[in-house]
Amino acid sequence: MYLALKEIKHEKLRYSLIISMIVLISYLIFILTSLALGLAQQNTSAIESWNFKQIILNKDSDIALRQSLLSEKQVEALKIDNNKEALIGQASIVAKSSGKENISANFIGVKKEQFLYRELKLSSGKLPTTSHEVVVDSSFADKGYKIGDKIYFNSLKTPYKITGFVKNAKLSVAPVVYGLLSAWPELKSVTPNFVASALITKNNNYSVPSSELGSYSKQTLIDNLPGYSAQNKTFTFMIAFLMVISLIVIAVFLYIITIQKLPNFAVLRVQGISNKFLIKNTINQSLILVISGLAIGALLAMITAIAIPNSVPMSFNIPLLGLVSLGLIITSVLGSLIPVQTILHIDPVKAIS
Amino acid sequence: MAVIEFKKVNKHFGTGSARVHVLKDIDFSANAGEFVLILGPSGSGKSTFLTIAGNILSPTNGQVFINGKDISTYSTKERESLRLTDLGFVLQSHNLVPYLTVKEQFELADKVKKSGNLTPDNLTGLLEQLEISELIKKYPEQLSGGQSQRVAIARALYTDPQIVLADEPTAALDSKRVKVVGEILHHLAKSQNKAVIAVTHDLRLVEQADKIYELNDGKLTLKN
Repeated sequence: MYLALKEIKHEKLRYSLIISMIVLISYLIFILTSLALGLAQQNTSAIESWNFKQIILNKDSDIALRQSLLSEKQVEALKIDNNKEALIGQASIVAKSSGKENISANFIGVKKEQFLYRELKLSSGKLPTTSHEVVVDSSFADKGYKIGDKIYFNSLKTPYKITGFVKNAKLSVAPVVYGLLSAWPELKSVTPNFVASALITKNNNYSVPSSELGSYSKQTLIDNLPGYSAQNKTFTFMIAFLMVISLIVIAVFLYIITIQKLPNFAVLRVQGISNKFLIKNTINQSLILVISGLAIGALLAMITAIAIPNSVPMSFNIPLLGLVSLGLIITSVLGSLIPVQTILHIDPVKAIS
Repeated sequence: MAVIEFKKVNKHFGTGSARVHVLKDIDFSANAGEFVLILGPSGSGKSTFLTIAGNILSPTNGQVFINGKDISTYSTKERESLRLTDLGFVLQSHNLVPYLTVKEQFELADKVKKSGNLTPDNLTGLLEQLEISELIKKYPEQLSGGQSQRVAIARALYTDPQIVLADEPTAALDSKRVKVVGEILHHLAKSQNKAVIAVTHDLRLVEQADKIYELNDGKLTLKN
């Protein structure tokens, strides 16, 4: 550590440039990770908030909530404990209000007596009590919608009243509008024999009475959201490639720096300084550089998080960013191990004329 | 008793037709308090002699004793340890770490050899003796050739070795400086009871030497 710190202190420009490079790489990784997480949350935050284990869907729906329809007969056959099971009805809607921007959203109809209705966490206002009252995602507020506003869905002429706001209620990157299930058939334009899209249950081993219905885990439902897996894989690959690139870049820089120091290391080897000391010094130096770069990169990412508009779907998750940082530290240590081979082969004889 | 002794030391490099016999049946010894000069032209085997004396290379055959112990068969770790504790090097390249100040060169020695180094008072005395006390905060790049050489000597002595090996200690110095360095090496051999062995082709150092060897074509002969 001693040699590492002294060298960085003396060679300020050289090491500042290396740290700057690590800052840029780590900043890019932090921003991409936050963007990936933000987008993932915009797909799933509503589903995550429902606090269920299994979802019962029509088997023909291809595990897609928006394609699933449960008939009255199918629902009657389901065993429903209102504290553990809840029917939901999903409909894609366009919310409109005079003088305000139209918003494409997902209507989720719930039943007042079931757990999902009771567990809706409002950031303001109150839960809907009639079929023409709704609570909406807080992004509606960002576009000028207020409690008490009348909104219209699709081409329907009957207004709905906003009674409250829910935070982080997003499904497939669209805000969620929660209302009563009794309003759902009209919004979904289905015949009266269909009463819901799905049943969610807190029971891990819920038995499905009909072969027409399937029981799926929350994760299966999420993985089958349109575009969700492809989007996540894209980000994961981008971040993984960035990690690999950073590993190569850090390794190349450390290798070049180590090569430049070989004459000094040869002299130190003559003086009896062990390879272990020199290797530890090299690894410590890379740790100092990477941790400094990461700290500055994290600071820049935090400033970005504060400055960035709410419309950009970024989510800064400290444990996840900590994990990414740990990944970068590990890659840098791996990178710093590459010049170790060169250090092990230093011939102290070269220091003698 | 000799602190360092060579007995019938031979060193070959290469194999087959490329095999070169660099040192031939070398017998050599140096006692504490002696300033010994190994003179020889380029290619005579001086550097090879120094690397074997410095425990960096092993002889092909023959024995090398330091304080009566045969070091020819020492492991790499034992060699490192011996170099750290018993040997001091003054190299042509001045053996100074470029990004450490003069003071930090000694601190580095403290990091790798935790005990047995000079006390602060002794170091102050040594720096005054070498007239480099005022250079303590300077980096090697801020020192002249002569100043660097004296700092390198101080660094070599800081770990209190019994044997100081100097490789061309007067290279690139003018006559006045050669005399000063010669006097310093002679003086430290006497005042600190060290065996100081310098390999050089610089005949201007012979006045201060106690013992002069000549190395020619791999053969070492005592000249005085």
